[in-house]
This record gives sequence, structure tokens and C-alpha cells, in this order.
Amino acid sequence: MLDATFHAELATILPPAALLTAAEDTKPYECDGLTLFRETPAAVLLPENEAQVVAILKLCHAARMPVVARGAGTSLSGGALPNAQGVVLSLAKFRKILAIDPLARTAVVQPGVRNQAISEATAPYGLYYAPDPSSQIACSIGGNVAENAGGVHCLKYGLTVHNVCRVRGVLITGETVEFGGDSLDSAGYDLLALITGSEGLLAVITEITVRLLPKPRYAQAALVAFDDLERAGAAVGAIIGAGIIPAGMEMMDQPAIRAVEQFVHANYPLDAQAILLVESDGTPEEVAAEMADIQRLMTDAGATEIRLSKDEAQRVLFWSGRKAAFSAMGRISPDYYCIDGTIPRAALPRVLRAIEGWSAEYGLECANVFHAGDGNLHPLILFDANRAGEIEKTIAFGDRILALCIEVGGTVTGEHGVGVEKLNAMCGQFNSAELIRFHAIKNAFDAHGLLNPGKAVPSLARCAEFGRVHVTRGELRHPDLPRF
Amino acid sequence: MTATVELRARPSATDVADIVAALTKDYGARAVTTAAILEQHGHGEGLADTALPDVVVFPHTNEEVAAIVRLAHLTRVPVIAFGVGTSLEGHVAALYGGVCLDLSQMNRVLEVSAADLDCRVQAGVTREQLNAELKGTGLFFPIDPGANATIGGMASTRASGTNAVRYGTMRENVLGLTVVTADGQIVKTGGRARKSSAGYDLTRLFVGSEGTLGIITEIGLRLYGIPESILAAVCQFPDLKSAVDTVIVAMQMGIPVARIELLDDVQMDACIKYSKLEGLASKPTLFFEFHGTEAGAREQSELMQAITDGHGGSAFEWAEKPEDRTRLWKARHAAYYAAMALAPGKQGFATDACVPISRLADCVLETKADADASGLIAPIVGHVGDGNFHLVVLFDPNDPLERAKAEDLAKRVSLRAIAMGGTCTGEHGIGVHKLDALVAEHGAAVELMKSIKRALDPRNILNPGKTVPP
Repeated sequence: MLDATFHAELATILPPAALLTAAEDTKPYECDGLTLFRETPAAVLLPENEAQVVAILKLCHAARMPVVARGAGTSLSGGALPNAQGVVLSLAKFRKILAIDPLARTAVVQPGVRNQAISEATAPYGLYYAPDPSSQIACSIGGNVAENAGGVHCLKYGLTVHNVCRVRGVLITGETVEFGGDSLDSAGYDLLALITGSEGLLAVITEITVRLLPKPRYAQAALVAFDDLERAGAAVGAIIGAGIIPAGMEMMDQPAIRAVEQFVHANYPLDAQAILLVESDGTPEEVAAEMADIQRLMTDAGATEIRLSKDEAQRVLFWSGRKAAFSAMGRISPDYYCIDGTIPRAALPRVLRAIEGWSAEYGLECANVFHAGDGNLHPLILFDANRAGEIEKTIAFGDRILALCIEVGGTVTGEHGVGVEKLNAMCGQFNSAELIRFHAIKNAFDAHGLLNPGKAVPSLARCAEFGRVHVTRGELRHPDLPRF
Repeated sequence: MTATVELRARPSATDVADIVAALTKDYGARAVTTAAILEQHGHGEGLADTALPDVVVFPHTNEEVAAIVRLAHLTRVPVIAFGVGTSLEGHVAALYGGVCLDLSQMNRVLEVSAADLDCRVQAGVTREQLNAELKGTGLFFPIDPGANATIGGMASTRASGTNAVRYGTMRENVLGLTVVTADGQIVKTGGRARKSSAGYDLTRLFVGSEGTLGIITEIGLRLYGIPESILAAVCQFPDLKSAVDTVIVAMQMGIPVARIELLDDVQMDACIKYSKLEGLASKPTLFFEFHGTEAGAREQSELMQAITDGHGGSAFEWAEKPEDRTRLWKARHAAYYAAMALAPGKQGFATDACVPISRLADCVLETKADADASGLIAPIVGHVGDGNFHLVVLFDPNDPLERAKAEDLAKRVSLRAIAMGGTCTGEHGIGVHKLDALVAEHGAAVELMKSIKRALDPRNILNPGKTVPP
């Protein structure tokens, strides 16, 4: 409930339609893509310009009111979960593409612009925005920056942090700050990198300059089958170790292949233990040469079948199964829990073997669908929450995967962010000296801890405790949306 | 947002004597106070202004670095990290005395993982040493500032080089760091995973922080496969504008050129004399390098030749043999020294403007006109593919008026780049010389930088007086 005076002050900034307080109006904002957590905010604010954002933040700062910024609400880690005592600041009305500079290959966009809309708008210039989270038809660029989103093609073209050059944001004090600049580098501390992936804890983003790339003239995909999962993992290392960075390199294991094939009929080889999808892009000559190398390496690595896409339609078909993996999984299991651990690529065979072993040990099937080139795993532990003890077993299984990811030098989250979901896992990855630096930085930006409180970085006290959560199919929002 | 960095003075003579005694006790001959060594550690390249540390110490391990910093933290004595002293903006000058931490003996390549295309090195490894040790693995590390700098120094200044247009800068190529914090704790940032969404990006915060937020002691780096085919070529132009326009068109077309370097007529004249380049004229010139498969590199070079033809460029002079290529790029890397040799007895420093490629022609041509009008010797050389170029400004150190004129010219270069949406520093960093330009470039964000400095180094002992204004 908003205090009447505070409400009145907000009403001087926003028209009634942009200041939602009734339960039926705030309900759609009670969770994001991680639906296990729900919270009703005191209000949802829908500003439409930066001056309003500034005024709102000044007001919230003075009143010590928590603020949770929100883009499209597709976060998988609870990044946009409201705070019960605070307001949700939706950037949904910031939907303009402000400028496109085809010569500098940049575009200036507002944070509510959809990821894919940038590529659509710049296509007439032969340009596109490279990071492509699977939810790109819905997710907003502001959210991408806040989470440092990845995607299939970030293997070759980098994450969000590599593809933005300037971010304009508003601090909790209402001050506007420009992070980064329009050229290759920018003087002083790399505040742009600090803001990128800060999960809304440091500033509210109001404008972004993204880098654009010329569309590759040609792309071809190879579908490579293996009769052994570990061998497929080693094949990934063989390609990278040969110095080849494909445009994309994704892996699916047999449970995933079977689930997906029933769903999209991409003609995947059902008897394979694992398939790799490897994409090459560039000029036709470069692609041909790279694909020849890849074919040779895959044959040497023990591939049982290699199919090259004959045309654009077939390339898209190869990818269709990968993109639909999330929705497909829902058809074979009542619930699943997705892990986002990321490891050095050379550790892939070891980690995949361990997951296979634990799957048998816990009696829980696990489907692997992931960004193999980056070493970004997405094991989906399949379970049934209605069966006694399965949640606990799933949690224990997931914990062991993440602990192994840390042990081999990896991280607990490659691209989904910490949010509220992985706060406990952070305690395993970072020691107190490291967590203290995180808190010191937060304190330098937001001394009262008002921006997105309780997310991303666990308190030292919390690290004494431990718990875990899972995602259930029944509670998933936008279930039709491609993910991961 | 009122936080300011604690102002400093030199530590008291007693504190200095105490810390020198403590360091001598623990490190013996590795703690040095002789005048020649102090002098050598009191400045980098660029302007020769020297500020001496009180003691230089040569640690060998992370733990030794941590112990030294803890000691300094206790008594609030400044600590300045030093690699091989090739930085250009006064980064290593000990403005308030203190301990110079010379990391050059921490020079081991700790691990090379070919299957992961990465490695981990100690901060004192130089870029040439790293590439020598990578020989035989089929891998290389591309970032190549002119000097044979240490990897630690390159990370600290967010260095770049001739390859940045294809391979990025240190920002893109550092995977993780081991850092000793201001209170002497050892922390690890990043990791060997190719991506992470866990926590704030401390890795990139420390990269480019010029030793003011922590002491980088180990660096995880990305490596790259040596391309199957490397072609290098030189093309000369009737005028500067044609050369710059060529670059802009090539970038717009997205030709994945690995190197594209501009040298103006004055710089070419200097390089021809200094590096004995034959068959080339003192005209605006582009150096190219193409990496890829045989077919890919050839195709890139053909596309490029078509563009240069359209801009009045000469036929390509090819450097086909590896030794010819090496000679060509050696000449380019020696450009700074070549420029200095144009006027023996003069001193020089390099400006470091970087602008969006769409403003490159305006910025280079206005700068050239400005340099000509100044009457100073100031050749232009630069990694123009990423919008970064340098003016090497020469002046007579005994003529205060000429020095002032040189500094004014450099200031105008910075402000011009900033006004065009660019930066005062593409790769050299802020040090002491660009503090004003930083404020001009970033305005309100500078206050945040100060807050971060204060948050991570509340006693202002780490390289005080650099990177962020007081």
C-alpha cells in the first residue's frame, strides 16, 4: 500500500493511467519468467520519458522507497521480481529507435525496444544486432543490458557487453549519467561494463547505443551426430582447439533430441546419443573452407553422420529443434529445473559424464541442450513435483552440477543472471573478500540499497544459509516463447 | 555523490624509513633504494617528467604482493605498480613517493590450454615473451601496443594495438584476473568460463584502472589460432583524405581486415628513414593485413584493392614472405621512435584520440590542419580501422613556450575527439596527463568513478593522483 502523500506526489509526475495501484492492475507484474517467486508491488509506474524517470527516482530516493526496473519481464532468474514495499518502474513505454548511423554501424535505442526489433529496423542497411537470446522476439534491449544477455551467436560475436558502446542511465539520486561512449574505447574506469549485467542494482537504463554488424553474406549449418555423449563433448574441443570459432555451436543429447523431434519434426537422427549444430558464416568461400575443416575434424572425432544444410530453409530447419527445445521439454515431463552453469570448454566431457552418472544415481532424467561452444550448459533436470521427494532430489542434483561447474573453473550462471534464483549458489562461487567488493560498488552507486534490493549479490549473512528453487512448467509465463 | 578521493601528501620520513626497513628485512636485495633504480622507476615513456618512489621492490608471488600492500595500507604509504615502464601518460610517476612494486620478475606463463584457446600468465610477462612461449602451439595473442609492454601493464591501461579492429582490445581479451586489493587481500575475478552473469563485472572494472583500484598480478587471456593465411600489403595515396575515406568505406562494407594502419606523409618520411623502408614514398599510406583461410584472405585483399583503386591508391606492394611482413610491422611498431628521430634532442608525446568511424575523416583532417598550423613536428599514425589515431608531438624541452604550444595542440586533439562523440584516449589511458580531458568527456560519470575509487581504495594508497581527479 502506498502512503497517501507519496501517491499524491507520484500523481504530479504521472497521469493516472501510468500509475497503477489496484490489485488487478499490478497483478500482471507480480513475477517475471521465473514464476515460482511472486510478490505484489505497492505500485507499478509506467513513465514515458526520462524526465519522469528522474522525478520518480528523486522521489523514491527521498522516501527510501525500493525501485525495481522492469523491461519485458522475460528474466529467468527473477531479476524483475517486485519488492513488496516498493514500486515497479516499467520501461515498457520506451519503445523508440532514436537514430541509426549506418556509417558508424550504431543505433541509439530506448530500453523497451525488443531485441529483434533492432535487427528488423537496421536490416535495410544490411546491418543487424548480433546478441540473440532465444527470447529475442519478446525480450527488451534494456533487460538484455541489465542481464548481459547472450545467445546462440555470442560464441563468435560476443555478449551484450561486447555489443553496446554507450548506456544512458539514471541513478537512484535522479542524476543522469552516460556510461561508455560512441567510439571504440572510452576514457577512465569501464563503467559501461559495470552497468552491463548489474541486474538493475546500479542505475535505471533510459537509452542505449548498440553496435551493429554487417549481415554475413552467407551462412551454413552442419548437423553432426555422435553415438557417444563424451565424444561429442570432445568434438567441441577439437573444433575450438583447431582455432575455429564457428558462428554458433550447440549441443543436444539424446533425451533432448527425442523430445524435440516429436515436437518440430526436424528429422534429427533419433538413434544418436548427441548432436552438434555447427554454423559457419561469412563469404561463400570462407564458409566453404571452414565447413571443410569442420567436416574433417568431426569425422576424426568419431561423428557417425554429418549433414550440411543445402539451403536457407534447411539451415532454419536444423535450428528449429534447438530453438524449440524448451517448449518441447514440457511435453515429456511435468516439471523441469534448468541450470545455467558455464565451464571451460575442455571440461565438457568430464562434466557431461558426471551429469550422466548423477542422472542414474538420482533416477532423474536430464536433458542437455546448450551453447557448447561457450561451455554454457543448460541441463534440464526432469522431475514430477507431485512425487514425494523428487523436488529435494532435483535440488541436490542441481547443486552438484553447479558445484562441479565452480570446481572446474566455471561460473554458476552464464547468461541468465543471478536474480533471486542463484543467490545461494553465488556463495559457493565467491568468497567474502570478493563479495565485500561487490557490496562496496553497490554502495558507491546506491548507498541506501534502493535499486532492486535483495537481488544478484547475496549478503554475507545469507551465505551462511542455503536453499534452492526450481521452475515448474505449470507456472511458466509465455510458455510458447523460445528460450535459452 | 559527494564522495571524493582522500587527498594525499608524501608519507612522513619516519613512515618511509619504517617501510624501507621492513621491506629490506623481508626482501633483502629485492628491495632497492639506489638512485639509478629509483630514477628508472620514476617515469614511463612520453613526457619525461619524473617523480621518484622511495623504494622499489621486486615481488615474486601473489602472497608477497599482498604482504607488501598490507604493509603500505597500514601506514598509508602509496603503492605504484610497475611493469616495464612503457606507459605514455605518466602512470608510473610516484607523485607522492612511496613503494614502486616492480612486477617484472613475476614473468611466468602459468598455463596454456590449447583446447580452450586460453592461457594464464603472471603480470610481468611481456607480450613478445608470451608469443615466443606460444610458438609451436599454433596459437597467438594478438594485442600489440607499439612497445613490448607487460601483460599486466597492458591490462591496467586497457591497451590495444594494430589488431584491435579484428581482435578487440584488452577489454575483450582478458578473461579473468588475480588482483591484490588495497587492503592486501587476494581476489580472483572472472574465470575460465567464456561468459558469466554472476556478480558485477570486476574483471573489466580492474582492466584499465591503471593500478588505482588494485594490483593485477595474474591475467587469464584469450588466445587465437594463427590464421592459415596472412597477407600484408602497403598502399600509398595522393592525399590524406583519400586514405581515410578508403578506411571508412572498408569498415562500412564490413571487410574483416586484421590490421589497417594509417601513416601520414610526415610519419612515412620518418619511418622510411628510421626503418630503411625501400620503394616507398613520403606520402599518406595505409598498411593492411588480412587473416583467414587462403581463399578468405585473398578475397578480402581483392575487395580492399577495389576500394583503394576507387580512391586513387597505388597498386598494392605485397609483403609476402614472413620476414618481409615482420619488417613492415616492425617499422610500424617503431613509428613512435622513428618520429622522435626526426628531431634529435626534442622530446615527444603521443595523443590518443578515438572517434566513431563516421567522424574519422573530419577528425583526422582537422587535426592534420591544426598540427600544420601549429608549426610543430607532429606526424599522424593510427589504427584507423577502429577510429583511433595518434599525433606524435615533438617539442624542445628547453623551450617552455614550445612545450606549452605542444600541450595546447594535444589538448585540442582530445577535445575535438570528445566533441565528435569520441574519447581522449583509445588505448593509452588517463595517467596524470588526461585528468582534465576525462572530466570533459564524462562529466557526471567522473563523480561515480571517484566513488568507486573511494569504495575500493578508501585510503587512496593505490597509484594516487592518477586516472580519477581528486
